[in-house]
Amino acid sequence: MSTAVWTQSLRKEFQLGWGRGRVLAVEGLDLEVKRGEVFGLLGPNGSGKSTAMKMILGLLRPTSGRAEVCGCRAGTLAARRQIGFLPENPYFPAFLNGTELIRYYGRLSGMGGQELEGKVQELLALVRLGGEAGRRPLRTYSKGMLQRAGLAGALVSDPEIVMLDEPTAGVDPAGSREIRDLIRELKQRGKTVIFSSHLLEQVEDVADRVIILHRGQKLREGRLDALLTQTGEWQVRAKGLGADQQKELRVWLQQRGAEVIQEGAPRERLENYFLRSLSEKDRP
Amino acid sequence: MTESWRRIRAVAANTFLEAVRQKVFAVLLIFALVLLGGANYFSEFSYQEQFKFLKDWGYATISLTGLLVGLLGAAQLIPAEIERRTILTALCRPLRRWEFLAGKYLGLVSLLGVMLGLMGAVFWGVLRWKEAQLIGTEGGELTVVQAIQAEARDPRLWQAFALIAAKLFVVCGLAVLFSTLATSTTFVVAMTLMVYLIGHLQSVAREQWLESGERAGWALQFFLAGVALMVPDFNLYNLIDEIVAGNAVRWRTTIEVLAYSGMYVGVLLAAAAWLFEGRDL
Repeated sequence: MSTAVWTQSLRKEFQLGWGRGRVLAVEGLDLEVKRGEVFGLLGPNGSGKSTAMKMILGLLRPTSGRAEVCGCRAGTLAARRQIGFLPENPYFPAFLNGTELIRYYGRLSGMGGQELEGKVQELLALVRLGGEAGRRPLRTYSKGMLQRAGLAGALVSDPEIVMLDEPTAGVDPAGSREIRDLIRELKQRGKTVIFSSHLLEQVEDVADRVIILHRGQKLREGRLDALLTQTGEWQVRAKGLGADQQKELRVWLQQRGAEVIQEGAPRERLENYFLRSLSEKDRP
Repeated sequence: MTESWRRIRAVAANTFLEAVRQKVFAVLLIFALVLLGGANYFSEFSYQEQFKFLKDWGYATISLTGLLVGLLGAAQLIPAEIERRTILTALCRPLRRWEFLAGKYLGLVSLLGVMLGLMGAVFWGVLRWKEAQLIGTEGGELTVVQAIQAEARDPRLWQAFALIAAKLFVVCGLAVLFSTLATSTTFVVAMTLMVYLIGHLQSVAREQWLESGERAGWALQFFLAGVALMVPDFNLYNLIDEIVAGNAVRWRTTIEVLAYSGMYVGVLLAAAAWLFEGRDL
């Protein structure tokens, strides 16, 4: 797999001005994201996730170090042609409607004519904003609808890489699930997705590989399977066992030297329960 | 059409659309049109005085409304985009920063152009209305009718109109420059207005700088040189007052002022592009 995004010793300091010193936002970040991966940038607030993303996009200039996108220096037109971006808490031009927003972003990417119109309609359908919803002013949209409109705007030029900064922040569970489903769909379409989040369960659902940042520095990096699998333990889920059989099984395990750490009926995740409780027609 | 022009046009169209969908500009326009239309009811003077008053009033209304539109429009340029973070979703695309600035400037200038066009059309209508009224009341003799028509259809009015537009386009250039430095809309409006006012003293500062020689201290010389070299000379547009007063102003002089304005806008936009290129967003 070839490289989509690569950084080497990336560093960013912000001058506070008026002699108030500097703030170090990112320190010596080495990163390699392969094409087709879903890559999660994790970390608490202020850990440097958004700053790292902005340097890759060319919105911020690194104090030192290098960043490349598909082999092009980050920030160049060639690099930006490869990326679609959805910022955290995006505030889109409120005087536009959903369709106009996607069309505007398409034109900013140099698109026009039938090619653009076809793409706009395709994306409205993909993010479920077709018909009347696409003609409503953005100021009447819910947070989830705004995120979906922004995602469509990020995809309009059919970029190789999609960068999402906290895409599920402030979105309700149903909207959050939709965005995660969209990320999976993008992966199936062969896109590289880089997203940041501090909602760890959501990252776990979709990411292939993650990096954990703290105070601008990389703490951990790797595939989720490798990072999270507890190789010293074994877990079985079964159904149809009566109380006697369960006791028998426990004894059998103990006789063979195994320590039973946890047993009992598994609990469903609250998110799944909540979403199951909502009927399709009640969803926003 | 090149991709670059398509992107500039997209930013310009969006800037224009944003302004058009805001009530404040519509209110300003309606207010200006009412002021222009109402000027026709001042009819207690001789016909020459009536035309002079009408032109004075009309150009002052157009000029002031244009300045307000320019300043309010400028407030929405870069700082408002940064505050709303909409700039991030624009500049992460294959859009050069100078293209974004050029689009913003063109959008603002288009808005001014449309508003000036509408105000100009109403002003022209008011002048023709006044012409018809005065011919009805005072136009018995052919010489009087010809004099009234000459006042109402004075081709120098186009010169004045072009000069107002050029002055406002320079103000918009200043607003774009300050918006690349600023983080607040208030800063942009205040700085643009301040330089606009200082610009009316530019010629005085230039003369003082050239004539003061060794007499002035270095600090004063530095200040005068700064004003003389960096601030546009807004006194050049006083030609509008000459035209209203009925004095002849050569087209050659008008074209020189227009060329000066064009050159100044070019310098302002180039400086804005250079400053904006290195700015972290």
